Amino acid sequence: MIALLRSGKPRKMEINTRSIDAMAVMLLLTQLPHVFYLPIWVSFSGIGLTLLKWRSIRLDKATTLNWILTSRLIVVLALSCGLLVKAYYGYFIGRDPCVAFLFLLVACKFAESRKSSDATTLLCLSGFLLLTQYFYSQNMLSALLTIPSVIALGCALSVLTERTPRALSLHRRLVSKLLIQGLPIAALLFILFPRLPGPIWSLPDDSSATIGLSDSMSPGEIGNLSQSDEVAFRVEFNGEPPEASELYWRGPVLSNFDGKNWTINPWADSGRIESGGAREAISYTVTLEPHNKKWLFALEQAASLPDASESRTAKNALKAVISSDKQITSRSMISKVTRYKQTSLLRDRYTPTKAPGALDLHLANKNPKTREFAETLHNETSSNVDYVNDVLEWFNTQPYSYTLQPSLLGDNPVDEFMFQTQNGFCGHYASAFVVMMRSVGIPARVVTGYLGGEMNGDYMIVRQSEAHAWAEVYLQGQWVRVDPTAAVAPSRVNLGLAEALPNDSRVPMLAKAGSGWIKRASLRWDSINHGWQRMIVNFNDDTQSRFWKNIGMPDPKLWQLMVILMLLATSWCLWVLRPTKLSALSLTEDEKTFRVYCRYLNDADIKRAAHETCAQLTEKAIQQLPEHKDLIGRIGTSLDKLRFEQTSKKQKQMLRTQLKRDLRKLAIITAREKTQIFAKKAKTKLIAATS
Amino acid sequence: MRISNKFRQRIFRGKPEDTLPKKIHHKRIYILPTKRGWVFLASLLLMLVVSINYALSLGYALCFLLTGLFAATLIETYKNLAGIGIDSIQSKNVFAGDKAEFNIEMTSGVSSRHDIEVFTADATGVCSIDANAKSYCHLVVDAQKRGSLALGRLTLKSRYPLGLWYTWCYLHTPAAAIVYPKPESNPPPLPSSATDNDGDKNTQERSGDVAGLRNYQEGDSPSHIAWKSVARGQGLLVKMFEDNQLGGEVMLSQQATNHIEVESQLARLCAWVLEAENTQTHYAMSLSDSQLELNIGEVHKKRALESLALHGLAT
Repeated sequence: MIALLRSGKPRKMEINTRSIDAMAVMLLLTQLPHVFYLPIWVSFSGIGLTLLKWRSIRLDKATTLNWILTSRLIVVLALSCGLLVKAYYGYFIGRDPCVAFLFLLVACKFAESRKSSDATTLLCLSGFLLLTQYFYSQNMLSALLTIPSVIALGCALSVLTERTPRALSLHRRLVSKLLIQGLPIAALLFILFPRLPGPIWSLPDDSSATIGLSDSMSPGEIGNLSQSDEVAFRVEFNGEPPEASELYWRGPVLSNFDGKNWTINPWADSGRIESGGAREAISYTVTLEPHNKKWLFALEQAASLPDASESRTAKNALKAVISSDKQITSRSMISKVTRYKQTSLLRDRYTPTKAPGALDLHLANKNPKTREFAETLHNETSSNVDYVNDVLEWFNTQPYSYTLQPSLLGDNPVDEFMFQTQNGFCGHYASAFVVMMRSVGIPARVVTGYLGGEMNGDYMIVRQSEAHAWAEVYLQGQWVRVDPTAAVAPSRVNLGLAEALPNDSRVPMLAKAGSGWIKRASLRWDSINHGWQRMIVNFNDDTQSRFWKNIGMPDPKLWQLMVILMLLATSWCLWVLRPTKLSALSLTEDEKTFRVYCRYLNDADIKRAAHETCAQLTEKAIQQLPEHKDLIGRIGTSLDKLRFEQTSKKQKQMLRTQLKRDLRKLAIITAREKTQIFAKKAKTKLIAATS
Repeated sequence: MRISNKFRQRIFRGKPEDTLPKKIHHKRIYILPTKRGWVFLASLLLMLVVSINYALSLGYALCFLLTGLFAATLIETYKNLAGIGIDSIQSKNVFAGDKAEFNIEMTSGVSSRHDIEVFTADATGVCSIDANAKSYCHLVVDAQKRGSLALGRLTLKSRYPLGLWYTWCYLHTPAAAIVYPKPESNPPPLPSSATDNDGDKNTQERSGDVAGLRNYQEGDSPSHIAWKSVARGQGLLVKMFEDNQLGGEVMLSQQATNHIEVESQLARLCAWVLEAENTQTHYAMSLSDSQLELNIGEVHKKRALESLALHGLAT
C-alpha cells in the first residue's frame, strides 16, 4: 500500500513502456477507420510507423530502429510526408490532403514520443484524427468504430497518469464508468447546443469527386454510374409509392449540344412551377446524399419547390430554385445529407409560358447522316406525333441492343451509333433521339436523372445504378417525355437495370433483383442506417427547434437555456456523487442473501427482531414451520458459515450455490404461507363484518 | 485587516492551525485542469469548430462525449481526495545530519484512493489507500539544524483518474520533529567528579579503582592525568575509573565541556548524554535555560536531548 519514497520534485517524466503500449493500441484503433478513405500508401506508412515504434520500445536503445526513430529524423520524415501529400493531391490546403497529412503527422508524433508532454500532444491530435473520419462517412458503422477508440483514448490517459501500475481491466472499467457518467452531459449538449447554419469557412477544393450525375453527358458517362451501388437518395412516400414506370426522378436537363457532348443550358433563366392539372398528386420526403452539385431531384412533374423540412428561419432553409426548363437546383452545393419535402404531379403535361428557344433546336454541324435520315423519315409521316412513334419503332425494329459495354464512338458519335455500332445504353438512345427530333425542327432536349428505386421497408432507395437519361420533346405546345430506351429495352423502365441486362457482370450486385442473403443483409443495414441518418446525422437546427416545440417551449431565451442547463448540471453532479454515500451502505453478497432470507421469512409472518441473530431467527422459523425443519436449518447454518467463518473460496462457492437453491424453495414455501395468512385474515375480517 | 488575514489563512493555510484528526472536505479542496487538461479542452474546442463548419453531427457527438468525459473526470478527481482522513502525523526525533521521518496516518473512508501525492516544500511521497483502510505516507526530510523541525504546510494532490484535472488541499498542522544536536564524534570521557562543581562526588569517584589508562584528549581534567606515567615518559595518559563506566553519577553542564561556542558545547553534551546512557551513568544536566535532575533511562535521555535541541531557541 505504501508506495514510492521520493525526495525532491519529480523529474520531467519519461513515458514508460505501459503508456507506449496503451497509446499504440489507441492509435491503431484510431487509424483503422481511415483505411477506407485514405490512399493506400498513406494508411500503410502511417500504420507501419506506429507498429515500428511499438516494436522499438521492446528493443535495446542501441538498435538501428531506435536510432532511426530519433526526433530529428522524424521531423525530416514529417516534412517529407507533407511534400508527398502535396505531390499526391496536387494541393495542400484542402480537406483531403490535410486529413492525410494529419494521419501521417500523428504517426510521426507517436514515433518520436519520449516525454509526457509528447503524449499530451499525441492524444489531442489523435482525438482530432478520430473526428476527421466523419468527413467521409457518418453512418452507424463509423460511430460504432469510434467507441473502442474513445475508450482506448481514455485508457491511454489513465495509464499515463498512474503512479503505481494497475491492471488494464481496471483502467478499462474506470474509463467506461467515466464515459457512462459523462453520457448525460454529452446527450444534453448534443440536444441543446445551438446549431449554426452554414459553414464558417470553406477550404478550396473541398468538393471532392463524389459519384453522381454531372452537368454534362458524353457517351459512356451514365454507363459508369450504372456500375455503382452507392445510394443517391432515399425517399419516404406519404402513401403508396407510384408504379415503377412512373419513377422518373428529374435531374439535370441538357439542352446544349456540340455534336458530341450534352451540357446544361448555361443561360437558362429562372422559371416557376407550372402544372397542367393532373390527377395524381404525390408527396414525399427525399433524403439526398451529398453529391457536391446543386441538383435536387423530384419526380416528374414537380408541383412544388423542395421544402427543407419545417425550417425555422428562412436563413437556414434549403434555397431551391427552378429554371425555365424545369430543373430544380439548390442555391448552394449539396455537401451534406439534405432532407426536403416535395410534391409531384405524375403524368402531368403543362403548357409552358416560355416557348422553346433556339438552343432546343441547335445541332452542331455534325452527324450529317442522322440528319439526312431524319428528314427522309419525317417526310414520310404526316404529323410530328407519328414521326416520334416512327423513330421509336425504328429503334425497336432495327438490331439495336442495350448494353453497358458500348463500342467506342468517334467524331460523329450519333452517326456512328445509329448506323454502325447500334449498341449503347440510355445516354446513347436519348442523345440519338433528340438529334433526330431537332433535325426536323422539333424542339427536344435530354433529361438526366434516375429511373426506378427499390422499396426497403417503408422507404425507397434510389441508387446511382439507376441513373438514366431520357428525352423531352415539344409537341403541340407541350413538353412530352419520351424514353427511347423503352423502345429498345422495355424491361429497363419497368423492372430495372438488372432485368434489362440479366447476364451483364457489370451490373452492380445490389441492383440485381433476386433475394440473395447478401442483398437482404445489405438492405437491412441500409434501413438501420437510414434511421440513424434521420435521428442522429440529420440532427440540425431544424430538428432542434422542433424539439423545443415538442416540449412546449418554442424559441427559448438564452437565460432560460442557462437555467435549464444549470438545473440539469446540478442534478447530474448529484447523480455522479451519489454512489459515495450509497456505497457506505453497500453490503457484501452474503449479507444481501441474509436480508433476502429475512424478507422471505417475513412473508411467512416470521419477523426478525433487531437483536435476533441468524441462529435465533432460524430457530423461530423452525418452530413455526416444523415441516420444513431441514431446509430452514440448512439455510441458517450455511448463512452463519458464510457470514462469520473463514472458509476457502471453493467451499464458499459451493455453499452459495446450495443456498441459492434452498432459498428458491423457501421462497415458494413462504409465498404459499403468505397466501394462506392473507386468506385467513380476509376470512376473519369477513366474519367480523357479518357479525 | 483581520478578515483578510482570516481569508488568507482559509485559502493558503499559511499558519499551522489545523488540528488532527481532520477529514478533508470540500471546503479546503481546490481543483483546476492540468496542462494536459487545458490542451485537451483546446482540442475539444477545435473539434467543435470543425464540426460546426462541416455540420458533422457525429463530430458534435464525439466532441460532446469527450466533454462529458472531461466533466465526469472532474468529479472523479474530486472524489479521490474528498473524505480522506488525516488521523495523525507521527515523527521520530533525530540527530542533526540525519533524515527526519514523518509518518502521516491516513484513512480512506468508503472509497479507495489512488496515487495521492503528499508533499511539503522539502519532501514528497505517493500513497494509495484501499477502501475502508488505513495507510501511512512517509515523508523524509533532511534534518540539518538542531531545534524543532516543523513539517510545514502539507499539500495533498491528486491527478487521478485521467490526469486532466488536478485537485489539491492544504493542511497545516503544528507537527514537528525535534532535531537533537549532532553528537560530537570522539568526545572526551564524561566529566569526572573533579569538576569544580561537586566536591563530594570527586572524592567518591577518586576512591574508585583505576580501571585502566587511556590517551589524553583535549578537555580532560588535569586531575585525571596519570602523572606517574608521564614521569615515566609514557606520554600523557588519563586514568579511567571503574565507577565512571558503570553506575556512577555525573553532572553535565555547559561549563564542563571546556568549549566556548554554544553549538560545540551542545554537541559535546549530547555525546556525553549518549555516553552516560551507554555506561549506565546517572546524570544531571544544567543548561542556562533548563535544569535536569539526576536520573537515567529513555525518558530522561529524551528530555535531556530535547532540552539540548531546544536550548536557546524560543519555543
